[in-house]
Amino acid sequence: MGLFRKRKYITISNTKISDDDILGEQQPIIPDGMWVKCPKCGRILYNKDLEENQKVCGNCNAHIRLTARERIELTLDKGSFVEFDADMKSHNPLDFPEYEVKTTAMTEKTGINEAVITGMGTIGGKQTVIAVMDSHFMMASMGSVVGEKITRAIETATGKELPIIIFTASGGARMQEGMFSLMQMAKTSSALAKHDEKGLLYITVLTDPTTGGVTASFAMLGDIILSEPGALVGFAGRRVIQQTLQEELPEEFQSAEFLLQHGFIDKVVERAKLKDLLEQLLCT
Amino acid sequence: MLKKILIANRGEIAVRIIRACQELGIATVAVYSEIDRDAMHTQIADEAVCIGPAKSQDSYLNMQNIISATVLTGAQAIHPGFGFLSENSKFAKMCEECNIVFIGPDAETIDNMGNKAKAREIMIKAGVPVIPGTEGAVEGLEDAFKEAKRIGFPVMIKASAGGGGRGIRVVKEKSEFNKAFETAQTEARVAFGDDTMYIEKFIEDPRHVEFQILGDNFGNILYLGERDCSIQRRNQKVLEEAPSPVMTEELRKKMGETAVRAAKAVNYKNAGTIEFLLDKHGDFYFMEMNTRIQVEHPITEMVTGTDLLKEQIKIASGHEIAFKQEDIKISGHAIECRINAENPDKGFRPSPGQIKALNFPGGIGVRIDSAVFQGYVIPPTYDSMIAKLIVYGRDREEALNKMKRALGEFVIEGVDTNIDFQYKILNNESFIQGKYNTGFINKEFKL
Repeated sequence: MGLFRKRKYITISNTKISDDDILGEQQPIIPDGMWVKCPKCGRILYNKDLEENQKVCGNCNAHIRLTARERIELTLDKGSFVEFDADMKSHNPLDFPEYEVKTTAMTEKTGINEAVITGMGTIGGKQTVIAVMDSHFMMASMGSVVGEKITRAIETATGKELPIIIFTASGGARMQEGMFSLMQMAKTSSALAKHDEKGLLYITVLTDPTTGGVTASFAMLGDIILSEPGALVGFAGRRVIQQTLQEELPEEFQSAEFLLQHGFIDKVVERAKLKDLLEQLLCT
Repeated sequence: MLKKILIANRGEIAVRIIRACQELGIATVAVYSEIDRDAMHTQIADEAVCIGPAKSQDSYLNMQNIISATVLTGAQAIHPGFGFLSENSKFAKMCEECNIVFIGPDAETIDNMGNKAKAREIMIKAGVPVIPGTEGAVEGLEDAFKEAKRIGFPVMIKASAGGGGRGIRVVKEKSEFNKAFETAQTEARVAFGDDTMYIEKFIEDPRHVEFQILGDNFGNILYLGERDCSIQRRNQKVLEEAPSPVMTEELRKKMGETAVRAAKAVNYKNAGTIEFLLDKHGDFYFMEMNTRIQVEHPITEMVTGTDLLKEQIKIASGHEIAFKQEDIKISGHAIECRINAENPDKGFRPSPGQIKALNFPGGIGVRIDSAVFQGYVIPPTYDSMIAKLIVYGRDREEALNKMKRALGEFVIEGVDTNIDFQYKILNNESFIQGKYNTGFINKEFKL
C-alpha cells in the first residue's frame, strides 16, 4: 500500500517560463506502419527491425510475404537488375464484369502493372534471368500477362543460354480470363521444356502461398526446387481435399516442410541464406 | 515548456526527475515493472503505467511498451535517466518518429559517441587529445597485435560497444596479448552483441576527471566544472568529489574548453559528460563521452548552484541556456558517497531485502538522493543502490568532516551496506591529502 500521499499537484506558477508556447501542445503520434503485427504469432514488431531482418519475424521466424520489388532487391546484386516488359498490362478478353476496375485498383495499390516482374541481373556476379511473382497483386493469380511475361523470360534465358530462377506465389489461375489463364500452364511448361533441352538450369523458389495452376505447371518443374520455411504449397485447397477424401488431414499438410519430407521439394531455405545458396548453385 | 513527461527509469534517478518536473509544474508519468508496484517513483508520480514483469528486458528495456505508455498517457517527452535506454540510439530514433521529445541528444549523436572506436576517430579529427591508440576499430587479432606493438606496451584492449568495465583487458607483456584479446572480444560479444575492439596505451594510475557539459538546441555549449571520480572498484565509481583536489583554474579552463570543443564536434545537445584521464604530469586525454545525465551529477549541482535536471528539461523544451560560461563559478566543495546494499566483507556481494529501520542524516549541506523508505524491499533484479549521500562544505576539509559526520547518522537495518567501507576511504591518509588515482582502491585495500 502506498506510503506516500498522492496529492493533486498544486499548479505551480513559473511566471518566468510559462508565458511561452514552445512545445505546449505537442502530442505523440505513432506513424502508420511503424509497428507491424506478425501474421503468425501476433507479436508487434518495429518496422525497422523487421526490414533489417529481411521481413522475417524475429520472434517466431515467420517468413512474411515480400513484394516482388523487395525480393529482387534482396536477391540480386545491387544495381544489376534490368526489367523486361514492365509496361505489359492485362486486357479483358472475356469481357468479364468488373475485371478492368479490379486490375486498375490493384495497380494503384501495389505500384506494379501485373502480378509478376521479370528481368535479368546478377547474383554474386553470375548472370541469370529472374521472374518474381507478387501475391499482393490479385493474389498473384496467373492470367495471360503473367503467363506471357514468364514465357518471354524463359525464352530470353534459352536464347542467351542463361539459367532462370522463378520465385513463385499464386492463388491459382486467374478466373476472369477463363481458358486463356489455363492455357498459360501449357505455354510456360513448353517454354521450359525448350530451355531444358539446351541443358540450362532452372531453379524454382516456392514462396508462401504457391497453389493451383502455378503449382500444377511451372512451379514444380524446376531442376532444383527450393522453398521458404512455412510456405503453403499445394494444388487444391485443403478443405476441398478433406471433403473429397472424407479424411482428416495432418496439421502440417501443404507446408514446405511436409513437402520436403515427401520428396516434392529439394530444400527448405531460410530467407537470410537464400542469396548465398543461389549464388553457389549458379556457379556450378 | 513541456506539459507532461514520462520517466523511463526507476529508483532514485526516477525520483530525481519527478522532483524536477514537479517543481516546474510539469505532469509526470512513471512506468514500473510488476515488482516496482510499491516503489517510490511509482507512488509520487501523477500517473503510473505498468510496463511488464520484473526482468529489465521485459519492462524498463521494453521500447515498445514504453512508447505505448507515452502515447496512452499523452506524455510529450521521455526522460530516460541513466542506464536502461538512455544511450540507446534506436530508442531515441523511435521517439523522434513518434513525435516524442527525447530528453537528451539526437539519436545520431548517441550512435556516434556510443561507439567508442568511432568517438575516438571524431575526437582525433576535432583536435581533442586522445589516449595514444588505434584510429578506430582493429580488424582482428593480427591487426590488433601489430597495433599494440606500435603503440607500445602496456596496452589496454577495449570493446567499442563497451561500458561498465566490461570487454576491457590490460596487457603488460607481449606474451599475454593474444589470450587477453580473445577473452575480451568474447566478453564483448556476449555482453553487448558487438565484438569490435580497439587498443589504447595503458596509462598507469591516472585520475579519472570528467567535465559536465550542457548544450542547447541553438549551438550554445558550456562546461560546469569537473568531478574527480578516481575512487573506483573494478571500474565502478564508489565516491566522487568536486572540484578535483588537483585542479587549478588554468587546467580547468584548458580541459573545460577542450570538453566544449569535443561536444561541439558532435553538435551536442542537452546534458552530457566528457571523461578524461589525467596523468601525473598534468596531461589529459579524452577517454569517452557519456551522452546522458550521470549518477554523480549532484556534486556539480552543489558547487555551481545549478539544477541540472531542470536545465535538461528546459533545453528539451526548446529554451536557450539562460546563463553564459562566465556566469559559472565553482564555489565550495562537494563529495558524494554511493551507499549500496552490498557486503564489502563478502566480495561486495549484493544484499537485497527489506529495510527494517531507516534514518537519513540531516543538517546543513547534507543532501540525500534516494528512493528507499522504511519497509521498502530492495528487489534483487536491479542495481543495489540504496542512496547517494552528498555533502557540501565551504572547503574540502569541511566537506570531509561533514561526510564522516553524516555517515555516522545514517541508519539502515535489514540489509548490508558499504557504509563502513566508505569510512575506510574517508579515513585513509592518501585520500585525505587528495593524493589518489584510479589505482587507489586496488592499492590501499587490495581489491
